[in-house]
Amino acid sequence: MLKTLIEAFALISTWEVIIAMLAASVYGLVIGSLPGLSATMATALLVPVTFYLSPIAAIATIVAASTMAIFSGDIPGALLRIPGTPASAAYADEAYAMTRKGEAELALGAGVWFSAIGGIAGTLSLMILAPPLAEIALSFSTFEYFWLAFLGLMCATLVARSSPVKAIAGMFIGLLVSCVGIENPGGVPRFTFGITDLFGGIEPIPALVGVFAVAQVMRAMLTPEPPPIPKRKFGSIMAGQWKLTKKYHWQMTRGNIIGVIIGVLPGAGADMAAWVSYAMSKRFSKEPEKFGTGHVEGLVEAGASNNASIASGWVPSLLFGIPGDTIAAIAIGVLYMKGLNPGPTLFTEKASSMYAIYLMFIIANIIMIPLGIIMIRLASHVLRAPRSSIMPVIMLCCAVGSFAIGNNMFGVVTVAAFGIIGYVMEANGYPVAAMVLGIVMGTMIEQSFVTSLIKSDGSVLPFFERPISAILAAMAIGALIWPVLVWLWQRLKAASPATSPR
Amino acid sequence: MRLPDQVTGLFLVGLGAAAAYGGWLLPPVPGQPVGPNIFPLVIGSGLALCGIAITFGIGHTFEEEEEIIPLEGGQVRPPTGKLYGLRALLPPALLLFYVVAADRLGFIITAGLIVYATSTALGARWKLSLPLAVLAPMGIHLIFSKLLRVPLPAGLLSMPW
Repeated sequence: MLKTLIEAFALISTWEVIIAMLAASVYGLVIGSLPGLSATMATALLVPVTFYLSPIAAIATIVAASTMAIFSGDIPGALLRIPGTPASAAYADEAYAMTRKGEAELALGAGVWFSAIGGIAGTLSLMILAPPLAEIALSFSTFEYFWLAFLGLMCATLVARSSPVKAIAGMFIGLLVSCVGIENPGGVPRFTFGITDLFGGIEPIPALVGVFAVAQVMRAMLTPEPPPIPKRKFGSIMAGQWKLTKKYHWQMTRGNIIGVIIGVLPGAGADMAAWVSYAMSKRFSKEPEKFGTGHVEGLVEAGASNNASIASGWVPSLLFGIPGDTIAAIAIGVLYMKGLNPGPTLFTEKASSMYAIYLMFIIANIIMIPLGIIMIRLASHVLRAPRSSIMPVIMLCCAVGSFAIGNNMFGVVTVAAFGIIGYVMEANGYPVAAMVLGIVMGTMIEQSFVTSLIKSDGSVLPFFERPISAILAAMAIGALIWPVLVWLWQRLKAASPATSPR
Repeated sequence: MRLPDQVTGLFLVGLGAAAAYGGWLLPPVPGQPVGPNIFPLVIGSGLALCGIAITFGIGHTFEEEEEIIPLEGGQVRPPTGKLYGLRALLPPALLLFYVVAADRLGFIITAGLIVYATSTALGARWKLSLPLAVLAPMGIHLIFSKLLRVPLPAGLLSMPW
């Protein structure tokens, strides 16, 4: 244990890792604070760069950038009422109300402080949860893996803030995308239409960059520019945070726990955690009437929650290769590239690398406090940069980055195509996160499905015979039936009084 | 680009059916009951079922209308016309332009054109977009070509580094 810890320290105390982490932190803070550029997009655009780094440095950049971006989304939320990332949308109104009351420092300070605490709580959950789960996971066969992946996909559709039918459809589209290529049980070209470039399949990373970055530039083409931020002087940012911590320690802990749980659930990430925690905070508050008028309580709980979900999202990613959220989906791609293939054996064979990941999360959350304070002070300058100067650079990064993944122009075509797909899906209420999960998990779910079927000689019964497999199957089928029950219930409720709500 | 649910639903039915049929045609692994055909078959059928459900408006009540936060101080409303929506297609079109032109024109020139077009389309004046079109490609070239050793096409204009 101690030896592994020392090894882990040695792994991360190289100049490459330190510089990569600092640079990625600044990058994450800037991208996260710009409205419309999400934390997922920041991470996706970072992937081509990680190709050229050592494995630990590559993971360091992702850890640092995603942690910082989720916090710095709070900054424009508080100052402009425009959340920088969807994860801050839940409490942007509240934070802005505080700014108008002249409490901008308190709102932003709470953002930094409780984000850092949340991030560390999430990391602790990763350290505590992952190794024992890895022990259990070692005895999993393809049947369990199939149900686990299926359950993951179902969770992603359940938590989507949209129609579950559309979410399931989005998931199927993603799975269909993963079918393309010759990497299938028979090794035959499937859905390649004679195009040689499709033989290798559709790379997840260019698809993600298209869905999250290009689609965002497309949306920017049709929406008005956000107003420039008014210049202001900030007082002390950390003043009063300790008092808040003591006053709201229970809310903070609850936020941390909710964030960890939502992070572990596949597909549900920081934005979901923030919405749920903000609603919880309001529901259980002693003074719910103050919510919406610039009350810090909800900010504490939701801020503690969304950052906690970032680290705990890595639990299913590292153990099973099932992403806890879209950022973890990208991280999985990087892990595979770097030879750290997700799986329970990672915790025994590459234990020092795992400890290095924990350490990096903790360090990232600690340096977030000083860097975040600097960022808040510089925010009025960064946020003055017009969109017309940022979006073109994003476009170039999309083109060059997707080319760099395989030194192949086809990557750029993929990015463009998925930009359109992502844009059309989003505009019509199909959650893109579900599709992304489908793309990332497609190969794995197909492999476990077909291998299981071959083992069982085409029979479906063995899928339910092993005990853990049966439990997982029950949960997955329950998740599938749940929306149907809710829908039926709504129907019945709407039928009894003559006036339906719509 | 908000299409009626019937349109997207029927499209998904078609896509799902095509995928299932395409999967059906694939040869199984010799001597095994299943092979590369089963997965597309399952997914295609599922997608078609979802498409049918969406066409009939099932699950529509779950959808939340997107909250648009009203901006203070009276923002200029964007002009709404039929052609205005097509502006959204500019970014993917520019990426395809990059695919076609980068090898011939070289990275710097192609990237400059893309930056200029995107920036202008987002309402920048030439005072901003022109310097940006010169500097941004050079910066990106420096990072990706020099530091990360991505072989970017030189084309007509090669960089001194």
